[in-house]
Amino acid sequence: MNDKKQLLSPEQVDFLAEMMNIGAGNAATALTQVLQCQVDLVIPRVFIIIDEQELSILNSPSLPVVCARMNMVGDVSGDLFLIVPEEQKKDLIRLAEQAMTGTGQSWRAGLTSQESDDLKLSVIAEIGNIVAGAYLTAVHDFCGLNIYHTVPTVATDMVQALLDESLVKLSRQVQHIIVVENEFMVKEKRIKTFLVMIPSIESVKTLANSIGQARMTMVKDGA
Amino acid sequence: MQNKIEVTMGRGAVTIAPHIISSLGIGSCVVLTLYDTKWKLGGLAHIMLPDSKNPNGYHPPYQCADTAIATLIKELRSMRANPRNIVAKLVGGAKMFLSSDDLSPGIGEQNIISVKYILKRNRLPVIAENTGGNYGRSVEFYLDSGKVMVRAIGREDKEI
Repeated sequence: MNDKKQLLSPEQVDFLAEMMNIGAGNAATALTQVLQCQVDLVIPRVFIIIDEQELSILNSPSLPVVCARMNMVGDVSGDLFLIVPEEQKKDLIRLAEQAMTGTGQSWRAGLTSQESDDLKLSVIAEIGNIVAGAYLTAVHDFCGLNIYHTVPTVATDMVQALLDESLVKLSRQVQHIIVVENEFMVKEKRIKTFLVMIPSIESVKTLANSIGQARMTMVKDGA
Repeated sequence: MQNKIEVTMGRGAVTIAPHIISSLGIGSCVVLTLYDTKWKLGGLAHIMLPDSKNPNGYHPPYQCADTAIATLIKELRSMRANPRNIVAKLVGGAKMFLSSDDLSPGIGEQNIISVKYILKRNRLPVIAENTGGNYGRSVEFYLDSGKVMVRAIGREDKEI
């Protein structure tokens, strides 16, 4: 038996998904600037999930991923994750490296392996920072909600192990997870990322209200 | 024939030798194995929460420490296990993200404390554990020996 209820109407879910699509576009633009090469976006898939058992990335719970974790603060609070499968981390770091040195040479020459690992993680943290900002800007543009995110902390481990602390909160109360599955095409490399947003219960209500108002204004403007 | 049962987050299973129960991607959750050393049977629970007190609704039996342990013991008893022969092992309870602005012990440590307390009240000895730290784990529980294999990324496999 499951007594969890969807707090959002189907129209609101559609609207939220559309907002996340725009966010993905913003993210691609931001990455184009950071990586200094064309980043194309394969149409993102947006899921709004109310039960942790439905979380598709957990189909392989021990998949190694690198994950930047942030908190959302402001009008909406909660947890925010940017997840990149471990096998695509290398590609992403190589691209960042090329953008920074402009030559494709390694910037890590002369560093110890520990320093080099730290640097790699901070590259992922920075990308998490930029991508999260791009999504939250889309939410702001549509709903007028001001959401900020904290400085990311990065860890590399099994995907479920990284998420379970946040998923536990989900089993405690009715909550929604917003998952955006993105594929970016950069220099013929596919980079798959997952953005996982876990807003607090009060924040889901805030989101629902703002979405309702935003839709009203759009309908008016359209007429 | 040796079968492998995979237990997902918040679930549990019991079986007999020579089968295997596995559970993957354990972060702040705690995996508890109970094993009857004489009859070579046992169970595994992938526990998410320290207790089931929750005003907001219902928890499946294996999700919380108190109900999970009660359910496991009940299941093992129905398989004619003798509580005197049962030993416990614990894996998990990590804190995955270390950050300077959050120094709270986290849900992982609460889970471990709660599971140990309830085991003690049930007079079930914890004979081995691999808990804490900031890394995820996967386990395989071998019912023919009672051994638990713990795997983590970038670390050596550990048998407890």
